[in-house]
Amino acid sequence: MPTAAIIARSLTKQYAALTALNSFDLEVAQGSIFGLLGPNGAGKTTLIRILTTLMRQSSGEVFIQGLDTRTAGRQIRSMIGVVSQENSLDRYLTARENLVLHARLHGMDKQLYSRRIDELLELMGLAGRQKDFPDTFSGGMQRRLVVARALVHQPQVLFLDEPTTGLDPQSRRAVWDYVRSLAGSMTIFLTTHYLEEAEQLCDRIAIMDHGRLIALGSTQELKDRLSGTTVYEIEFERNVASYAALLKAMACVRTIDAKDNLLHVTLECWECLSEIVTALNGAPVRRISLKERTLEDVFISLTGAGVRE
Amino acid sequence: MILHGSLAIWIRDMQVLRRAIFSELVAVVAYPLTIYLAFGIGMQGYIGAVEGSPYGLFIAPGLITMTAVNAAYNESVWSLWFHRRVQFTVESYRVTPISVSEIIIAKICTGFTHGIIKGCAVGLVIFAITPFRFPLEHLLSYLVFLIPGSALFSCAGVISGTVMDKPETIGKVEAVLVMPLIFMSGLFFPLSSYPAAVIPWVRALPTTALFEGARRALVSGDMSLMYVLQVSLSALVLFALAVGIFRRKMAE
Repeated sequence: MPTAAIIARSLTKQYAALTALNSFDLEVAQGSIFGLLGPNGAGKTTLIRILTTLMRQSSGEVFIQGLDTRTAGRQIRSMIGVVSQENSLDRYLTARENLVLHARLHGMDKQLYSRRIDELLELMGLAGRQKDFPDTFSGGMQRRLVVARALVHQPQVLFLDEPTTGLDPQSRRAVWDYVRSLAGSMTIFLTTHYLEEAEQLCDRIAIMDHGRLIALGSTQELKDRLSGTTVYEIEFERNVASYAALLKAMACVRTIDAKDNLLHVTLECWECLSEIVTALNGAPVRRISLKERTLEDVFISLTGAGVRE
Repeated sequence: MILHGSLAIWIRDMQVLRRAIFSELVAVVAYPLTIYLAFGIGMQGYIGAVEGSPYGLFIAPGLITMTAVNAAYNESVWSLWFHRRVQFTVESYRVTPISVSEIIIAKICTGFTHGIIKGCAVGLVIFAITPFRFPLEHLLSYLVFLIPGSALFSCAGVISGTVMDKPETIGKVEAVLVMPLIFMSGLFFPLSSYPAAVIPWVRALPTTALFEGARRALVSGDMSLMYVLQVSLSALVLFALAVGIFRRKMAE
């Protein structure tokens, strides 16, 4: 019996000539928050559709809570909650009615779902607007309602497909806070384009491109494996060009990039810094600082900087 | 098959219908009533009797049937298209523990219910403002046609709403296929008006069996088993097709 909440083995999805997923392997631990990143067309949507049983794989296998998606779709759907990219709220039903419909689709008893819906509306700050139609809600409120809907039946695994796209920073942080509060009580699988979101929320992050898994680990692990190089920012009072030429000639300097009074210097290793400091003795240096690698640096280095269609 | 999903979606649809029932009924009654006023009253003097009945009475049962099946078709086609393409609610249904068939059964039942409710509303209005009368016991025979007829058009609506991604295509299909089928089925004229060579082809249409059979059932209580079977079998075939096509579309 597998212990991971989500297991994908050699998962492949072929659409005619296009391979959307190519021998994709993945394991998501119980109770963790797992982030999936990838540029447009990387295969994220296909993967999430297969994991949520909306689509069948061409080959390979997927287990959600130990159940095979090919044979136990209904059972799996009773254990998962899905927040899709689109709000998919019923605009002809009130906020509360949207949640009631979802509970009925899950075959819940009225007594059970009424209490649960009250709790969720309160928790999401929507109790006062429960009789209003979603069309009258702000984007953030609609998103909170979609999250509440996905939680009505108390799922064991929650799929969040770009949950904060289009939200203002305040609403985004409210969703983040709520997702954090769920941590541990259920497994959360999150796809996002916001790298900061993945960095803030996820225990582990996978980066995929062209249907393949290209990196997997914690934020720090991903940053660490970017490369052994170290980048420093050096700010000068004046004469940047002449100092840039001086540093460029040094063996331990890999790349150098000048902008205004600032030099970005990539060193072979941090030990080279003392050589740089010696070389700059007497130079009008205002500041030398280590430039932290961001998840975005990792993402761009792995998937390229080119815009995808 | 567990049908709690169908029931939940049907209850949702009825909730929405209940909220808008007045405006829905006004819109639904207006169209057949206008036709009745124009043809049944305006043209009656010029046309005279058709198959022994005044023209107004000849077209009245057909107008009730037309309202019912049109309502069933329109509700199914637009509801499914809207939920699939605009509101994406079908996606939200599909991630719950219900089957694709349950969604489609719900939508067919909703279309069917709309058809029956709106058909009855138009029937009552025609009954109230025209001299059209029928023995109440004929109503039962009439429902034997109206129920599978509404189901037939509801299934057709589900197929159109599943296959067509653009709203303008839905309108075109209605203009090119649905309305001609209804009008060709002897709604405004007796089948005997067709050339003899064409009559067997027209009779083979399930819509002819529906309109012709329903009229006879309501006016004279004459229930043609052949027509009932024709409508019911067509509804069953379209139901199987609707489920198959929707499942296939969802798997894409």
